[in-house]
Amino acid sequence: MADRGSLLRRILRSINQQLPRPTVAEFRWRTRPSVIRPRPASCISSLFLHWRQYSTELQHHMSPELMKLMEQRLSAIENRSDHLHQIVNQPEASPEEYSRANKELRKLRDVAELITDLRAKQKEINDLKSVIADCQDDKDMKEMASEELDQAMAEEKRLQYLLLKHLLPKDDADERDCILEVRAGTGGEEASLFAMEIFKMYEKYSQRSGWKFEVIDVAQSDLKGYKEASASISGVGVYGKLKFESGIHRVQRVPVTEKSGRLHTSAVSVAILPQADQVDVQLRNEDLKIDTYRSGGSGGQHANTTDSAVRITHIPTGITVTIQDERSQHKNKSKALKVLCARLYEMERSRLHSIRSQFRSEQIGSGDRSERIRTYNFPQGRVTDHRVGITSHSIDDMLEGESLDTFIDALLLQQEMDAISSFVSSE
Amino acid sequence: MATSVGSKFLDLDNGPDSTLLHRELNWLIQDSLGEGEPATLSCAASASSSGSTSSKKVVKLRTCLDDLYRLWKERIEDRRPFQYLVGCEHWRDLVLSVEEGVLIPRPETELIVDFVEDVLAENYGDGLKEGLWADLGTGSGALAIAIGRILGCNGRVIATDLSPVAVAVTEYNVKRYCLQDKVKVKQGSWFEPLEESEVELGGIVSNPPYIPSDNIAGLQAEVSKHEPILALDGGANGMKDLLHLCNGAASMLRPGGFFAFETNGEQQSQFLAGYMESELGGRLVDIKIESDLAGIPRFVKGFKAR
Ligand SMILES: C[S@@+](CC[C@H](N)C(=O)[O-])C[C@H]1O[C@@H](n2cnc3c(N)ncnc32)[C@H](O)[C@@H]1O
Repeated sequence: MADRGSLLRRILRSINQQLPRPTVAEFRWRTRPSVIRPRPASCISSLFLHWRQYSTELQHHMSPELMKLMEQRLSAIENRSDHLHQIVNQPEASPEEYSRANKELRKLRDVAELITDLRAKQKEINDLKSVIADCQDDKDMKEMASEELDQAMAEEKRLQYLLLKHLLPKDDADERDCILEVRAGTGGEEASLFAMEIFKMYEKYSQRSGWKFEVIDVAQSDLKGYKEASASISGVGVYGKLKFESGIHRVQRVPVTEKSGRLHTSAVSVAILPQADQVDVQLRNEDLKIDTYRSGGSGGQHANTTDSAVRITHIPTGITVTIQDERSQHKNKSKALKVLCARLYEMERSRLHSIRSQFRSEQIGSGDRSERIRTYNFPQGRVTDHRVGITSHSIDDMLEGESLDTFIDALLLQQEMDAISSFVSSE
Repeated sequence: MATSVGSKFLDLDNGPDSTLLHRELNWLIQDSLGEGEPATLSCAASASSSGSTSSKKVVKLRTCLDDLYRLWKERIEDRRPFQYLVGCEHWRDLVLSVEEGVLIPRPETELIVDFVEDVLAENYGDGLKEGLWADLGTGSGALAIAIGRILGCNGRVIATDLSPVAVAVTEYNVKRYCLQDKVKVKQGSWFEPLEESEVELGGIVSNPPYIPSDNIAGLQAEVSKHEPILALDGGANGMKDLLHLCNGAASMLRPGGFFAFETNGEQQSQFLAGYMESELGGRLVDIKIESDLAGIPRFVKGFKAR
């Protein structure tokens, strides 16, 4: 860890040395702390400010170390892909060899294309440089060439950034839709009321993001709070943005139910599960028990009921999902299946995750539902995210789904930073 | 009003309890909201409000409050089924228009469509997807419409019913789902309305009346007082129509054709399956009994021998 930190700092320093004067966008970011106050003592927050520039300024300034690393990776990929091409073009290659090589080539295709583009750009840059050197006397020519050189160099930077993104480990689930599950934890009615507010916060945030938010099921408490609620959220990049919301959200306020005016602390747990289908989780019909847990009666033509609740039990894991909010049994069933698939998928992911993290320590816990991630303090009107140490002082906007991006952006940034540092340290 | 019911109806004849009635009331209000109103009214069923952002906003109703009250009174005092109050039933992914005189489709029956779906997926090469299907005793048209929507572009469904109300309601529902070209509705008894050109059926589904005559009076009030007896009464042992349909299937299905019938439960299913195996000279094969989601052996399905 210490090692990684100092390496990061070194990279950052070298980036900073190359930074031009702040642009308007950066300036705005820097003055934003009226809303977001980075924890002063936190080196993470101060790192953020640099990385924010790094990220929004189209990565114009990769550190030499990072560049060197990337260059090594790129030539490794080039060699590999040359080698594979050779196999594919060899008449004596066995069918297995051929198809294996072909498959790997297909996987490398996007990166390989980008590398080809990058190499072409770099050649263009060299050519332009020699043109400029050669035509010191021809002023017009020189000017034209330098203009082109500027463009080519900007393009080179863009390609390098794209390639960097490609090389960083990514989460295949980021592009998926998700299931949101909110559960009231300790704190009784007050927790249920807050669970409802959190649930609605995500609903509003989704609407703002142009996503579709469909309520799956709500179990109300006596005061019409939510003991438990779930929804499916679909749209572009939903899981990738919301995944860091999983965890315990703590609230501190004087509950409406509290006569003495005493401050309470209660908790709500949020889970964001990537949406999966039956193929993703290899769900077999034999593993499912689907029933209406209704009591007795002969059913069929004997009964007229509007109760069409369905319970699905996944026999191997014992997970059960019950849905009753829809008006038809068929719809309750398909919703329950959707939720079940998401839960199973998440289980499998966290299993894989825990295997992986035996080898590599990861910074942001995504998916760990027991981690306390955020505190909403009403008397002080603030919300603090404990993972990035950022506090927002606009609790109302937050619950209106407006300033949630403050945290989401910071968390995404941290993810990117972690990815880069593990990219660097894995060398 | 809904609260005062408690578990009275439940104890009396397995009718709805107050939790269910509250939900129905919520739906009733949802359904009466004008277009464009949000479909959630969190405190409709209860006077207590959480005091947060909810409710105190003016909403446009399509029906006036007095009418709603009158409707709801019928629900509680006359046990008029909820679906007749709002004029529709949500069934599978459909919303079907229903009214007095036609049976409200049951959740159990939804499974028949799943069976058909499975068969179409497996027997793709057999052309059932493009074949002619029959839904006999179609009621509101539920099965005919659901099947019409999963058949291929050449697949057709004939829906028959003896009841003129059922025929009218089915025609209306078919139109609502723009299936006039796919689903033909005919009035008449079971197979009778089928023309000679229509005897090579790829599939037959039916949920005929199967309740033994003696049991009708003891049914839940919503059913016995409001739903049409023609849709329920299956004769002395409830098997009169099922046996007729079963014989019909043996002759009207084309080789490899599929059938699925709903029954009263274990006894009828077993009897019917036994009858098919022993009395029809092996013309119906692969006979299976399937349970509904409450675990009651509810359906008998199978194929015509090739
Ligand atoms: C139990 S309901 C089923 C309705 C619909 N198929 C459903 O599942 O919701 C039985 C239907 O059979 C019809 N029916 C009764 N006797 C009939 C007959 N002899 N010929 C055709 N239909 C008949 C009734 O009118 C009623 O619509």
